[in-house]
Amino acid sequence: MMLSIEGLRKSFPLEEGELVAIEDFTLEVEKGEFICILGPSGCGKTTILRIIAGLDTLSGGSISLNGKDIKGPGSDRGMVFQEFALFPWRSVRKNIEFGMELRKIPPKNRNEISQKLIELVGLRGFENSHPHELSGGMKQRVGIARALANEPEILLMDEPFGALDAQTRNLMQKELLRIWQETKKTIIFITHSVDEAVFLADRIVVMSERPGHITEIYKIPWERPRDRASMEFANLRKEILEKLEKMVKVD
Amino acid sequence: MGKLGKSWKKIVAFLRPSDVSLKMDRRIQLVKTIVINIISLSIFVAVWWGLSEMLNSAFLPRPDIVFEAFIDSFQTVDITTGRTMWDNILTSSIRVAWGFALAFILAVPLGLMMGFSKTFESFSKPVVEVFRPIAPIAWAPLLLIAMGGIVGPIIVIFIGVFFPLLSNIIFGVRSIQPILMDAARTLGARRRDMFVKVIIPSTVPYIMTGIRIGLGIGWMCVVAAEFLGAIGGGVGQYVQFKTEVNRFDQVFAGLIVFSILGLSTTELSGWVERRVSKRMGLK
Repeated sequence: MMLSIEGLRKSFPLEEGELVAIEDFTLEVEKGEFICILGPSGCGKTTILRIIAGLDTLSGGSISLNGKDIKGPGSDRGMVFQEFALFPWRSVRKNIEFGMELRKIPPKNRNEISQKLIELVGLRGFENSHPHELSGGMKQRVGIARALANEPEILLMDEPFGALDAQTRNLMQKELLRIWQETKKTIIFITHSVDEAVFLADRIVVMSERPGHITEIYKIPWERPRDRASMEFANLRKEILEKLEKMVKVD
Repeated sequence: MGKLGKSWKKIVAFLRPSDVSLKMDRRIQLVKTIVINIISLSIFVAVWWGLSEMLNSAFLPRPDIVFEAFIDSFQTVDITTGRTMWDNILTSSIRVAWGFALAFILAVPLGLMMGFSKTFESFSKPVVEVFRPIAPIAWAPLLLIAMGGIVGPIIVIFIGVFFPLLSNIIFGVRSIQPILMDAARTLGARRRDMFVKVIIPSTVPYIMTGIRIGLGIGWMCVVAAEFLGAIGGGVGQYVQFKTEVNRFDQVFAGLIVFSILGLSTTELSGWVERRVSKRMGLK
């Protein structure tokens, strides 16, 4: 077991009492697994990712990576943001090298690694471009490469393709699967698109509305690339969609 | 009317932005702007001319006489001050440069720290807020007596430039998108790295804006400082001497010099500001 989340609880203090955002969230993630966390907005899925990243603290339960409790951010976990969060004053290459600069990797090695990553994410020829010169899809390619540059064990992705148009989104999903298969990283991927989750995940973790907790976990053993037009794809998508719709109606 | 109307329509059609192409559009827009600018300045000079003829007062000399005095001030050594306008410009510029440099050296680290550290801000803010509302010119008489005619004016300019620069830098640090800090943290940035690699670079455009505003204020402060007995000339001193000897044409020439100096400094720093922002991929 690589990432282990045990009875995670997150609450925010209010003037009276507290707001429970996440309750009793337990999940074990294997090395190399592709996990999608799916849920309606406000179910706390982003908060869970931020807690794993070490950007937020937990209020209860425990979370450990390879047996070590997570206390704050670390280069063993890389994060990709929906808003890209690239440094606008840095070129593509310099964005990718940010983490390596902090880890004091000599410039020559930095350059080699960033060049490899630029090739991996398909950005050759854009090394010296600045983020504002790139399209959304290309920006997120930089975001992925930047996270990979620290050689993290887990890639945490917070609705990474949420800001992209449908066509770019489909392309990026395929690209991500290719990168995942080449690098063999563990990925935890937040989305609210059922279609995206069924296309990508080994396991889909479905969460309920606040207080967020796991309602179901779907294991998808199908081979990749998955055919969106197939019956089984359509059936599973329908099943999960209905479950999500029911959740929202109860509210 | 028919013929006049037709040519008027032609002019309007020429000036109106056409949809031929965006580039053409912009060029026409630029020509239009320049034409209107020239018209407005001409009207200004004409009104000035008319007023001075009408009032026939020594306090408002005619534009052509002022223009003559303006040209002459650069070409001849003045009898009362023993300097040409070039000397005065140089003296004033050096003062502004010194005052500005001092303000810059102090405001940049202070502003970055105040924006970054809550503790440091709580410590330094009361003092800053006590001094901020005081007009820099209010310091001038005291500073000129206390620090003399050479250092005094520089300190007046320093005070003028310091506060807008400081405010801009603090605002810049506060304006950083929190998500950039999050990204840096997940990539392993500690407090020090955050400061050097995220906060400083993203504040640069705001520092540039502070420089532009600060320099504009610097030129205003140098006038006041030079009125009050600065040593070694300057455009402000020139204007004051000329007022005392009733050479109002030369007074206006001095005012025009101030206008040109202020305008060109602002334009130049604005240009640098845009270049830097573009190079850094910001804004």
